[in-house]
Order: sequence, then C-alpha cells, then structure tokens
Amino acid sequence: MSTESTQAIEEAASAWLIRRDSRVWTPADEARLQAWLDASSLHRVAFWRLEMAWEESARLKALGAGIAGHQAPPRGEWNLTPFFDSSDQKVALDEEGASGVETDELCDTSHGILEGPSVARESAARKRAWFSVTAFVTAASLLVIAAGGAYFWVEAAKDRYTTSIGGIASVRLQDGSNITLNTATEVHVDLTNKERDIDLARGEAFFEVAKDATRPFVVSAGKKRVIAVGTQFSVLRDGDEIRVIVAEGTVRIEDRGQRSARPPALPVAAAGSSDAMLLSAGSVAHAGDSGVLVQKEPQSETEAQLSWRTGVLMFRDQTLAEVAAEFNRYNERQIVIRDPAVAQFKIEGNFRATNVDAFIRLLENGFAVRAIESDGQIVLSSN
Amino acid sequence: MAEPLEIWFKREILSHEEMLMRFLARVWPHRDELSDIRQEAYARVYEAALKRRPQAPKAFLFTTARHLMADRVRRERIVSIRAGGDTDYLNVLVDEISPERRASVGEDLVRLARAFDRLSAKCREVVWLRRVKELSQREVADHLGLSEKTVEKHLRTGARLLAHYTRTNALIPPLPKADLGELDDEKVEHEHGKHASD
Repeated sequence: MSTESTQAIEEAASAWLIRRDSRVWTPADEARLQAWLDASSLHRVAFWRLEMAWEESARLKALGAGIAGHQAPPRGEWNLTPFFDSSDQKVALDEEGASGVETDELCDTSHGILEGPSVARESAARKRAWFSVTAFVTAASLLVIAAGGAYFWVEAAKDRYTTSIGGIASVRLQDGSNITLNTATEVHVDLTNKERDIDLARGEAFFEVAKDATRPFVVSAGKKRVIAVGTQFSVLRDGDEIRVIVAEGTVRIEDRGQRSARPPALPVAAAGSSDAMLLSAGSVAHAGDSGVLVQKEPQSETEAQLSWRTGVLMFRDQTLAEVAAEFNRYNERQIVIRDPAVAQFKIEGNFRATNVDAFIRLLENGFAVRAIESDGQIVLSSN
Repeated sequence: MAEPLEIWFKREILSHEEMLMRFLARVWPHRDELSDIRQEAYARVYEAALKRRPQAPKAFLFTTARHLMADRVRRERIVSIRAGGDTDYLNVLVDEISPERRASVGEDLVRLARAFDRLSAKCREVVWLRRVKELSQREVADHLGLSEKTVEKHLRTGARLLAHYTRTNALIPPLPKADLGELDDEKVEHEHGKHASD
C-alpha cells in the first residue's frame, strides 16, 4: 500500500498532465513522466483518470463554437444552446431525482429548445450571440417577427445555421424536425406551407424529420435533392458530390432540376425518371455528376459512420490516410502524411474528433511513426 | 494490433466511475475514504489487467472494490451501524444499483457544462481559454494578466475538479474543499487582486 495520500497523487498527476499539455515537452520530460507512472499503479490510474476527464473537457468546444471573443459564457446560460433539448432534460431529471437545484435551474429555463424563431429573437435581444448555432435572419423576417412570432412561422422562416471547425450543434425546427450539424457546416432552412426546404451549403448534417405528409422535407445539396417525409438520414456535401446515409425510413434522391416535391413513397418507376432513386434504411449512397452509387451496409457500419453526432469518430479497419482526412475535417491543425507506407497503416478504434493530440500520441506509441508539428501542420513520417 | 491497455482501461473501467461512486457511497459509511477506495480499486484492476484483461471488466471492478472494503472492515475492525459487523451488505449485484444508462450527447454535455459552471470564476475563465479557445498557456496568462504559474495552477485545479464533478452524482457531497484545492484556487485569485465579474 502506498503511503502517499490519494490527494497528493492526484495533485502530482494533474501537474504532469498540465505540464505535458502546455509546455515544450522534451524526451527527458517524457522519461521522467514515465518513471513517475511506473513507480506506482496508483500514479498511473490517477493520471489516466485525469487525462480522460481533461480530454473530455475539450467537448466544451461544442458549446463554445461560434461564440465570439474570448470570454466564457456566463454560468447557467448553457441552456441557450440547442443541446439542452427536451429529451435530455428528462434524462437529467431521472437521475434519482438527485441533481436538485442545479438540474431544475437548467431545465426550467431550457424547454424553449433553440427553435428557429427563438434563435432569431435571442440573438437579436442579446449583445452577442455566443451559442454554437448562429442564426441570421433577413431584414424582412425581422419585421414579421415584430408583428408576431406565430404568424411569422406560418408564413415563412428563412434561417441560416452554421458551425465552425470542430463544432457540433443541434437545431430543433418549428415543425419538430431536428438537424444536427457536423463540423464546418452551413444549412439554410426555409419552411413554407408546401415544403420544408433545407439547403446544405457545405458540410454534413443529420436530419431527424418529423412526419408531415403534406410538406415534403427536401434537402438540397449541390445538384442533388434528397427528399423525405418522416425518416432519419445524413447528407455530407463536398462540392457537388454528396453522400447520403439513411438510418431509418426511406428517402428519395434526385437531380435538382426535378422540381416535383413528391413524397418519396412513390416507387422509382412511378417517379417517372430514371434519375430519381429510392434509398431504404441502411443505404449509403454516393452521388455526383457521374451518377449514384448505392451500397447496403449493416447497421453497425452506418452507426459508425454517424457516430460523429456524439463527437466520436469510429474507425474500422481504415487506412491512416482515410483517418487523417477525417480528423482534418474537425481540426484547424491538419495532419499531413509524407510517407506512403505510413499512409497505409490500418487504424481501428474510437476517437474524439477534436482531440487530434491524443490520436497522434497513440500513433506514436503504437506505430513506428514520428509526428513533427509546424505551421499548424502535423507531419507524420516513419520513425 | 492489440488495443493499448490505456485505451481499454479508460473505456472499460474508468467510464464506470459515476456508478462506482454511487455504489461506494451506498455501502461505505466513511465518505472521506471513498476516493481512496476508488483509486485502490482502479490500481488493482490495472495490475490484474496487465497480466490478463478480465472478460467482464465492470463486474470485475465492482468485485475488486467490494474486496477492498471487506479487507478494510477486517483490518481496521470498522463496525458501522450500517455494516453491523458483517459484510453481506457489500454483496450488491452491480446491475441492481442502476441500469446502465447510455449517455446521450446532450446528457454528456449537460454534465460537462454543469461541472464547468461549478469552477471558480477565474478557473473557469482559464479553462475556457485553454480548452475552447485553444490559447497557449502564455497567451492565457497575458490575456488575463496572470502569471503563467498561476494559469498552470488553475488548469491543474480545473482538471481535478472537472474529473470529480463530471463523475460524481450529486447525491454524494463534494469532497472537502481543501481536498480539491479550492482553497488554493481562491487564494490565487486574491493574490492577484482580480475579482470575478459575476
């Protein structure tokens, strides 16, 4: 049994952790850290525990994305972020009714999920919009808001939502649908009486569509339109190439020129065009100028591809080149692979999308790989 | 490639901390010993896993914690009202305690935001700049007019408190202030004569 107190060990562990994180870290430092870790299992588990929590704390970024300036948002104002939607509150309250005042505070004020109009109103009312989804409202819409929110919504609502690199955000639309925006994403929402028009200007988003047979839910991305009535699917846009993953229900994918917003229930033949295509749950479709390629994937595979919604990237037997490209979507600091042999390393595992440092450290520990960082680039080469 | 032990340990063992603490708080009468027992259990599981990783990691963790408590009862002849001198009460089935709840994105973030809000004003600001705005330690120090040393101290406290607050159910009272370095934290703030705006 160690004679050191738990507290003393924890203090020492936190000192190592922060020092490694914040300073020039030399091989000699690393050797001293390793010696400390090797000295006692209690040291090691204390260090891992703090390291894990510290890595998780980077997820505050998800709440901070889009917040201008350097100052942290005031305490308790998290409830303005779209993450605190009604379902989450229920979970929090279920916690043996325990969390007491804090929970109540959070929940009481947060049932106004970031609906389109409240985003707009909130941002107008506040000095600075700091939540992760920023909404921009046209001057015309603002006038209508002044006239009355409810009326405004029946007519039309044009909103723009964006996330910055590394940010993930969720928006509840007035019709009950939910959009989760992945890193560096921009969507425009235009709800009318006839159609729910979403324009994916860039990036990737996951759509949970509230059922409404009278108003098709249409996601436009580049030259394609993806149409649903009530279903769950994601669309990733890279220029005019798109990737659609259907988690639930059915969606139709067609060229943008076809302005018929028919619900997707029609079979392909009836849709009257060979360019329109029905996708069922488990489908992963790549669509571009050259046509549409559809693959059927087992659920575990589609789940892995949609895991970004939890801030985690899941890789199954993918090359380091693919993995690096994925990380680069979430981080300003870009991973560059100079060595073709290194690019072919196979990677498997779950990683925090924004914790590129932890990933690089693992690579260095697990493979003969050396990482050199300069000018916002992390260059990988064989050791 | 075999998964590194560190990754395995964090995912299979450390991820159960909240439930483990709830279990410990329920069966162990001495609150000030909870984190000792927890850390000892972690260390023992780690040592066992060095030789062979247990098939049922969560059950193994709880069993280990139970053995540790039984050892303490025997060794120190602790007889609490609850224990009544017999250790049967330690034999609680893991899954009785609470069904495993898969944390949703939102739930994790609520927990994190709430933990973050419990940090002292200055500590909160420092952690925000470092973790969210990704300023270097030097930049944080310049921005807030603190010494780098002070910034480092806040970060250390922040890491420890976030680990504690995000993993400990509100039923369990927070550890004594001194134990968490909060007093230090306040002292640091006063030293610099900076007062929180809120």
